[in-house]
Amino acid sequence: MSETFSIYLARESGLHRLHPLTKLALAGFSMVAGLALPGLWLTYAAFAVVMLPVAAWGKILGAYARAVWRLLLPFAVSLLLVQGLFWTGGTPLIRVGPLSLKLEGVIFAVRSSGRILLVTGGFLLLALSTRPDALMIALAQRGMPRSIAYIVLTTLQIVPRFQAKADAILDAQRSRGLETEGNILRRVRALLPLIVPLVLGSILDIEERAIALEARGFSHPGPKTSLLVLADSASQVAARWGLLAGMVVLIVARLVAGCWA
Amino acid sequence: MIHVHDLTYRYPGQSRPALLDVNLDVPAGQFCAVVGANAAGKSTLCYALTGFVPHFYRGKLQGTISVAGRDLLQTPPGELAGEIGLVFQNPFNQITGARFTVREEVAFGLENLGLPREEILSRIDEALALTGLADVADRSPYALSGGQQQRLAIASMVVMRPRVLVLDEPTSQLDPVGTREVFAALSALAAAGDTTVVLAEHKLEWLAAFAQRVVALSGGQIVADGPPREVLTSPEIKGCGVGQTRYTQAARVAQRDGLVPADKPLPITLQQAIDFFT
Amino acid sequence: MNLLLEDVTFTYPSGVVALREVSLTIASGEVVALVGENGAGKTTLAKLANGLLKPQRGRVLVGESDTRQRSIAQLARHVGYVFQNPDEQLFERTVWAEVAFGPRNLGHAEAEVRASVEAALAQVGLAAEAQRHPYDLNASQRKLVALAATLAMNTSALILDEPTTGQDAGGIALLAELVEGLKKKGRTVVTISHDVDFCMEHFERAVVMSGGRILADGPVAAILSDAELLARANVEPPQLVRLAAALGLSPSPRTPDEFAALLAAQAGR
Repeated sequence: MSETFSIYLARESGLHRLHPLTKLALAGFSMVAGLALPGLWLTYAAFAVVMLPVAAWGKILGAYARAVWRLLLPFAVSLLLVQGLFWTGGTPLIRVGPLSLKLEGVIFAVRSSGRILLVTGGFLLLALSTRPDALMIALAQRGMPRSIAYIVLTTLQIVPRFQAKADAILDAQRSRGLETEGNILRRVRALLPLIVPLVLGSILDIEERAIALEARGFSHPGPKTSLLVLADSASQVAARWGLLAGMVVLIVARLVAGCWA
Repeated sequence: MIHVHDLTYRYPGQSRPALLDVNLDVPAGQFCAVVGANAAGKSTLCYALTGFVPHFYRGKLQGTISVAGRDLLQTPPGELAGEIGLVFQNPFNQITGARFTVREEVAFGLENLGLPREEILSRIDEALALTGLADVADRSPYALSGGQQQRLAIASMVVMRPRVLVLDEPTSQLDPVGTREVFAALSALAAAGDTTVVLAEHKLEWLAAFAQRVVALSGGQIVADGPPREVLTSPEIKGCGVGQTRYTQAARVAQRDGLVPADKPLPITLQQAIDFFT
Repeated sequence: MNLLLEDVTFTYPSGVVALREVSLTIASGEVVALVGENGAGKTTLAKLANGLLKPQRGRVLVGESDTRQRSIAQLARHVGYVFQNPDEQLFERTVWAEVAFGPRNLGHAEAEVRASVEAALAQVGLAAEAQRHPYDLNASQRKLVALAATLAMNTSALILDEPTTGQDAGGIALLAELVEGLKKKGRTVVTISHDVDFCMEHFERAVVMSGGRILADGPVAAILSDAELLARANVEPPQLVRLAAALGLSPSPRTPDEFAALLAAQAGR
């Protein structure tokens, strides 16, 4: 979907066929686990033993691994440097001139990265394997206001539209002799003719878009139906309840156990 | 089906009325065209027939409007969806943005009306066939050309099977062949008896061929109302910015030059012109 | 200032081949209509002519300059492009400032800018609206503002992208007068248009495009009377052409007056 600002990858897989709320529950559980699991390596182990096989099952292993890598690596590296180099006191591991990398800082960075890995890993699985509109419809069926669903979905599609519109405006203004390359002063002066049509145009559009939505029955009274069929099953429903219970258990256990290393 | 009585309307903050003493009665199943210069009130009339004037635009309205048995002054536009449809000029703004394929986009309105899924599925295919979009049913609405997007706007409204369908210049991005197809489809809808079509347009050649009735607006007032041939060749139209088909122009010049009797009724279509000159 | 396309092939990033080995020469002062169905490649060709698009194969020359060696703003001195959607360029607070934007960008002296703006506004009939905010005008008036904005740049060549769309009879009459005026001044005018009647009456040369290629190129009357050619290109012939053909009158008339003259000649026989 290049017209949509989403990372969804269409595949024929069991993961894709799962109900969106099941995957949302998995993401939620993974987030809680990431925050509650003790120790240094459990989070990484959970990722390797649970998330990666699930991604493989969803036929998105390659894309998933790449997304995780790209998202987390810069974060993990900067965390490592910041915590490692600026940890007050502590045991130095490596000395690089006046700076030294502290063991405690490295441990902190590794643990935190592991947490983030699980917290974001679940949502990445969700995003890669779930159509945004399927998720929104599932939530709307459970009582989320339709206007929120509408706003989320249109935002996903509006972002590429903005880009296309900005390109068209750029073309038009260049054709009127506007120079956009060159020194900083020139570039700043080029901003107004580019931004104003974009903003004004979007504001003008809002009125018509609202009318179009009304004409399509957006605020028509009565129950709504859905073209998209979301397959669900008793076992998934049970699984979601189980995951929810599991989240509660983890949170309670974490609180009870106090500060775990 | 449409009963407009003594309608006068001013947009907020405007002293000049956009519509003045408009009286219009359109029977069910008629294909009625509205012509006039830009700013003559065509769009305002389209909005008045669909409830957006005055409910959306506010302003001051006098008179009564009844469409498909509903008093439009008492009914918010949202409730009218499914009975009264509106297609306007900008196709891009009519894409909801909440659906990722053409098929689902067309279904949007029916989902809002709460129709059962099987009904939605069959109606979608019908609407896509009518507007020639069957080939692109699985593409993103944003991947379509401007002309295809205009057809999509029409399909999305036609699928809701409104009793009255109002269209405000819906063919601006279409080439003549595409325009003809749209006019033919609208004409067929009206002829089937289920839909009353009101179409505001500049393209006289196609109106001449397909519309059953033409209403001409100037300065917010109706200056002519009747069969296309009568209205599009009448003297009242002359100062109105409506123009004439080339057939009418050629006939006028021929009459001016004494090549054809001055009392012969002027043509607006090719066939009428052929008959006129032979 | 000649416009030259030499064996140009252009493919969009989506993979669509919009132009295939197209060659076209437009000499200074020519008035050319590009006709063809949607998707034939007309807009692509026009955008190559002012450098908005650069060819993957072949080259485009504006005068002596290869478009690949110039920025769009530089080429804008010679080729003005009037876009279909004015709302993608209007940004100033007054119509006057909007129309002055182009000539100011080109570095014209303020006195010259003033003269150009006033002339352009007069040509499009919007002199009275000069101090109004462009978005307070209706859509067809905004289109005329965009047209004036490019006219004021006084480029030797002008490309008009579907100028008559959405215009009422008054607007079309204004455009007709404008094109005739540009012809008299010897400017090069290229239009993309579905309004074949308008092209027949006011343009001198027609280029018929289909599927990314030029099917035919020649005097407008001859080209737009060729029923078989137009059918292949999925283009409807002008009304007067159809009428004349049905009545056995030839050659095809470009205006109602020419038609009447043919009729009189036939009656005289």
